[in-house]
Amino acid sequence: MRTVSWIAVRVATCAATLTVLSFVVFWATEVLPGDAVGVVSGPDATDAEREAVRVALGLDRPPLERYGVWVAGLVRGDLGVSLVSGREVAVIVVARLGASLAVLVPAAVGIVILAGVLGTIAGMRAGGRLDRILSGVTLGLIGTPDFLIATVLLVVFAVWLPILPAVAIVPAGQSLWQHPELIALPALALALGGFGSTMRLLRASVAQTVATPFAEFARLNGIRGPAYVRTIVANAAPPAVHAFTVMIAGLLGGGIVVETLFNVPGLGYELTRAVENRDVPLVQGLALVLGAVVLTILLAGDIITRVLQQRTRRQEHS
Amino acid sequence: MVSSRKRGLAAIVAAAAMLTVAGCTAAPQGESSPEGGGTLRAAFAGGSTETLNYFQGPTALDYVRARLVHAPLCELDPGASDGVAYGVVESIDVSDDLSEYTLHVRDGVSFTDGAALTSADVLYSLRAPVLLEGLPFTMLVARNFDLDAATTPDASTVVLPTAAPIADGRELICQSMLAIQDGTTEFAPDTPSSGPFTIAAFEQGQSTLLERNPDYYGQAPSLEAIELVSIPDGTARVNALRQGQVDYISGITPAQAQTLDGADGLAVSTSEPPYVSYMPFTMNTATAPFDDPRVREAFKLAIDRQRIIDNVYYGLASLGNDLPALGFASYDASIPQREHDPDEARRLLEEAGAAGMSVELTAGPELPGMVETATLIVEDLQAVGVNATLRELPAGQLFADYPAWLALPFKVGYNPPALFEPNHTPGTFPEVDALVQTARSAATPEERLTASHEAQRLLWEEGYELAPVFVPNISAARDGVTGVRELQFPDLSQVVLTD
Repeated sequence: MRTVSWIAVRVATCAATLTVLSFVVFWATEVLPGDAVGVVSGPDATDAEREAVRVALGLDRPPLERYGVWVAGLVRGDLGVSLVSGREVAVIVVARLGASLAVLVPAAVGIVILAGVLGTIAGMRAGGRLDRILSGVTLGLIGTPDFLIATVLLVVFAVWLPILPAVAIVPAGQSLWQHPELIALPALALALGGFGSTMRLLRASVAQTVATPFAEFARLNGIRGPAYVRTIVANAAPPAVHAFTVMIAGLLGGGIVVETLFNVPGLGYELTRAVENRDVPLVQGLALVLGAVVLTILLAGDIITRVLQQRTRRQEHS
Repeated sequence: MVSSRKRGLAAIVAAAAMLTVAGCTAAPQGESSPEGGGTLRAAFAGGSTETLNYFQGPTALDYVRARLVHAPLCELDPGASDGVAYGVVESIDVSDDLSEYTLHVRDGVSFTDGAALTSADVLYSLRAPVLLEGLPFTMLVARNFDLDAATTPDASTVVLPTAAPIADGRELICQSMLAIQDGTTEFAPDTPSSGPFTIAAFEQGQSTLLERNPDYYGQAPSLEAIELVSIPDGTARVNALRQGQVDYISGITPAQAQTLDGADGLAVSTSEPPYVSYMPFTMNTATAPFDDPRVREAFKLAIDRQRIIDNVYYGLASLGNDLPALGFASYDASIPQREHDPDEARRLLEEAGAAGMSVELTAGPELPGMVETATLIVEDLQAVGVNATLRELPAGQLFADYPAWLALPFKVGYNPPALFEPNHTPGTFPEVDALVQTARSAATPEERLTASHEAQRLLWEEGYELAPVFVPNISAARDGVTGVRELQFPDLSQVVLTD
């Protein structure tokens, strides 16, 4: 019951955060120099034509009024219309979120497997040769910028060993989900760049847990093999779960370099374009959805961590 | 709905693939046509702002697609006697006093819904940019003609009065006008059209599948289908071409062209004048010391133009002479080319009391090589003693605040290929403004050309634009792709695929 009320408080906090976020994003785009009129009109427009574009886009109204209209629409589930393309923001956001998730979900699975297996192995034999090799490799990967990882993957899998397409080209009417071969390289690039920190936290936590009296007690009681690993990992996981959710939340909007290079039209890439175009409704819509999804992922991570910790505490008490 | 569309698309793709195979295997048997058929896969920058409404489409891809789906009224053709090549409009007559244009509509052109194309459709096409709130660049005709007073006396004639007498009306009408059906307000894949291709499938920011229109009035395309793919990043476009995922890519940088040039089985091509972008570095005459013509002249002389062409564009750009509209009929090629003369530049600056002046050049990556050219210009200015610095803006920022851009003392901009006279911005040199007016409205072609050349000479001597190069659109294709017309935007309608 206490967990339920704790979750309710967290959800309310998320909602409040989103409200503040929408306000901050709106004013951040407002204080940027220039507006969509300049972008839409092009260099050859006359002043009168610029003014007409400004009125057509509704940018002649005061900012507070525009923000009010946007919030009123939001309450009705209407995210507004893109200033540059005239398309519904909701449609664009859903399509971009789909593309981002199509790459992110396989990448997340990859991170869980890589970080879970390698982190556990390294932590169990902390200080051993394998641990040192893995530490070196992951530190190297953490320090390698995304574009380098992506370029190396491209060179290996699209040039030397041309088994995967270099660029995601999805035929009209289909979605990225239907083409695993197009998802493979960007997902691998995100996974390789992202698993290091989670793996290192898990390793440290596993190493710490192995040294605790209760682990020794378990060993002395003859718990061996998979059962022993399960006991250790369940107790060591919370900090790694936390690092994992933060990493995934960051990749959702932050995989811009990978999205650009592999032509995956995801949320982060779209957001940078929308800011370039001063397309305020699109920036707002993308930021809000991005914020909502990120907060949901972080919340899920917190809940999992809490449940794991409570279970551990119960085990320790019993 | 979605699944039936998908199935339909799968059928189309399968059919296109079969036709590709059939095209290759059937040709030797000497069947109906010697053409290759097949599907061309072409990649453009595109992006999620893609739209079928080309009046509001800000990207090149929108116009490339519209040009394939909707037949042009007519097109610019600097080599032709009227300066234009006719399309669904088969000729344009101009009244002697240059105040009325009569458009004759071609017989036998029909839309995909079977309706014949008439003068009402042509007039609606001309009015559409205003009615449908098109972007400013589509307003060229609306600015110069009195469209409200236009009439259609019969089904094949449109009478178009001008706002003020002009001689270049044909070029304005033919710059980018496409034929759409009277009353069209929405653009969907099944909107009736009259061009060489029809839209079989369309997904914003992703891909468009175009199929040959069997009822097209003009020369039938060789291609069975065209797939237009949106790949916003230039490097990704190049990778897609290298790996054979697409046959043709447009809008790449000179450096990318350089790396592709030696690649096996690939060829780079560029648009030629007049289809090159004007890239003027503008000196604001309202701010000192640019109000002194000697300073402007010194800046123009200080620049090593050939170095820019060689180092930034690897020889792919055209040499500029500080005047717009290179390659158009009225461009004055007899004006001497301004040479690189740093000593004279230094002397002029000295004379104007501007030696050692400080100036900041504002640039942004809005055109390939724009920032790199600005960098070389700053270096050249430093070499003649000007304390020049470069302020580089991130992509998309340069024109985002247009009044602020206008007020900058020294900045770069660009204009797509366009005639000089109708696009001249009046207000700085009254004498030039008057000459341009004469160049557009005098009674005889000779008078008009003389006035235009005189205006250009004045601008060359005293003007505030430093234009060292014209920038082409650079494309690349795999071998076996022929017939791309690199116009203002690439025209893919006459492409032939061979293997």
